[in-house]
Amino acid sequence: MANTAIHKATRRSLLDRYGYEERSAVLFLAPVMLVLMSVAVFPILYSFYLSFFRMKLTRPNNQPFIWFENYSDLLTNELFWVSVSRTVVFTLISVSAIAVIALLVALLLNQEFKGRRVLSTIILIPWAIPYVANALMWKWIYDSGYGALNGALYQLDFIDKYMVWLGDQDKTLPLIANAFVWKEVPLAAILLLVSLKAIPADLYQAARVDGATVWQRFIHITLPAMKPGFMLVMIYETMMAIRHFDLFFILTEGGPGDASHVLSWHIYVETFRNLSFGSGAAMSYLLALATFALSYFFIRTLGRRI
Amino acid sequence: MANSIETIDTNIDYRRRQRLGRLGHKAVILFGALLLAFYALAPISWLVSSSLQTEAEIVSVPPHWIPDEPTLQNFRAIFSAGEDEPVTYETRSGADPVSGGFIPSSASSLLPSMWNSTIVATLVVILNLLVGVPAAYAIAKIRYWGRNASMYFILITRVIPDIALVVPFFLVIRKLGMLDTIGSLVITYLAVTVPFTVFILVQFFEGLPDELDKAARVDGCSRFQAMVRVFLPLSLPSLVAVVLFTFLTSWNEFLLALMFTQTEASQTLPILLASFTSDFTVSFSFLNAAGVLAIVPPVIVAIIFERYIVSGLTAGAVKG
Repeated sequence: MANTAIHKATRRSLLDRYGYEERSAVLFLAPVMLVLMSVAVFPILYSFYLSFFRMKLTRPNNQPFIWFENYSDLLTNELFWVSVSRTVVFTLISVSAIAVIALLVALLLNQEFKGRRVLSTIILIPWAIPYVANALMWKWIYDSGYGALNGALYQLDFIDKYMVWLGDQDKTLPLIANAFVWKEVPLAAILLLVSLKAIPADLYQAARVDGATVWQRFIHITLPAMKPGFMLVMIYETMMAIRHFDLFFILTEGGPGDASHVLSWHIYVETFRNLSFGSGAAMSYLLALATFALSYFFIRTLGRRI
Repeated sequence: MANSIETIDTNIDYRRRQRLGRLGHKAVILFGALLLAFYALAPISWLVSSSLQTEAEIVSVPPHWIPDEPTLQNFRAIFSAGEDEPVTYETRSGADPVSGGFIPSSASSLLPSMWNSTIVATLVVILNLLVGVPAAYAIAKIRYWGRNASMYFILITRVIPDIALVVPFFLVIRKLGMLDTIGSLVITYLAVTVPFTVFILVQFFEGLPDELDKAARVDGCSRFQAMVRVFLPLSLPSLVAVVLFTFLTSWNEFLLALMFTQTEASQTLPILLASFTSDFTVSFSFLNAAGVLAIVPPVIVAIIFERYIVSGLTAGAVKG
């Protein structure tokens, strides 16, 4: 009898303690959840809801519910598909360039040499500056009249007359990608450097004893060991490139023609210049969905150990 | 006898080759380091150099890489813009109309916009810490049902592209009458930055031994006291990283500010810079000076706190 009483008492106190943990967890998490619910989850649901309406701010009293028409309209909207293909091209150029350059930078910074610390501080500078200032800087570099690119290439005799860089349909996307890559490389390199540093030195020693050349060591030890770091960088940079907006806004406004009319720019024009919020919301939702699919892997790699 | 001489010979040969190899290795590293420094610094140096040139010099062909007569007149124009003295270049009347040589009237908003950027960023930092620290502590140290789920949830919200949030944000903020206020920026930036804050802090708290927590609890601390008295003092480095990231992200953000701000009351520095760039008549040298002003604060922060930034950035990668 007394036994069960004691038993009951311990159980209650255990339950209490359990409850205390749960309760404090709820309290500690409440602020962050409140913020994210209202400023991230609610908007995304709201935009899903909006995407079923024909909603033009120019006609505020005529906003009918139209089911999936905003989505089905996209299928036949030529400019939308142009913007999708531009986004894909921009992302492919940027991410592959970032991967290669960041790998070289990481390999370099992994060596011991005089001035390595100074150099690793220097490469943080592109990362730190605002994208708008980055865009302004590259716009001035690419300037057709007085820019540095024209000046340098002319003085080095690579071109015999000044070129209109951003105004050339074939060059616009690569040039914007270049500005993007310049700013994104530092972060990618730092992330890659971490996985490089994690490779045990004895592995290289052993390989050297076995007579492996520098190249063999790189292919069989370095690259495989960097795979998780690479995955992380590729996925993160893909997400950044797909959604990028600032450079397009300042450098080209989607031009010349539709040469740099990427998806984020298309959404912006559709929403805030044509004021069709419904179809803008539909596209935002598709973009969010695409990013979700991509970032499923992102979260898997990042959040695995939590 | 002959045999041993041969061995010595190959030995010397081997050593020499090794020394040559090491020399080559050093040369490659030196070349790579110089190339990288050039890659990172050349665009910025060009921007700084052209911000120090007069309008007449800046439109020279080919460009002057180093200004003949460095001048601070562009910066002076920005800092005196609010005062009575009109913001003009004396050379303007003689300047080529195509190349501009003109300072926009909105130049006087540049310093207020910097002030706005600073206030927004500071508020976002403070709110981030208030909201993020308890959440991170709970996820790292309290055993409760749904820990993983809450971390996933927080990270997933960061995956939503800003452009997808803009439409509903705009409608809601318009309805609340918060358009063109600093508040609208603070709230949205908080949502954008807090997932990363929580992520970094969770990584750090998890690295601290659970015994610390238990000892504090045995000594009669509540959860809250354990967090404030035991964990906060120990986590200073990661707190610094969080503060820096949040500050820089807010200082640099463009898209949301473009949607929500209209006047000097809330415009941040990136918005004002962007408005200059879209005006073809604006003087190049003035534009560059404005660009330099926007770059200087974040670059100084990055240089001073390099160590914290790198360790913060890599916190995630190490675990992943």
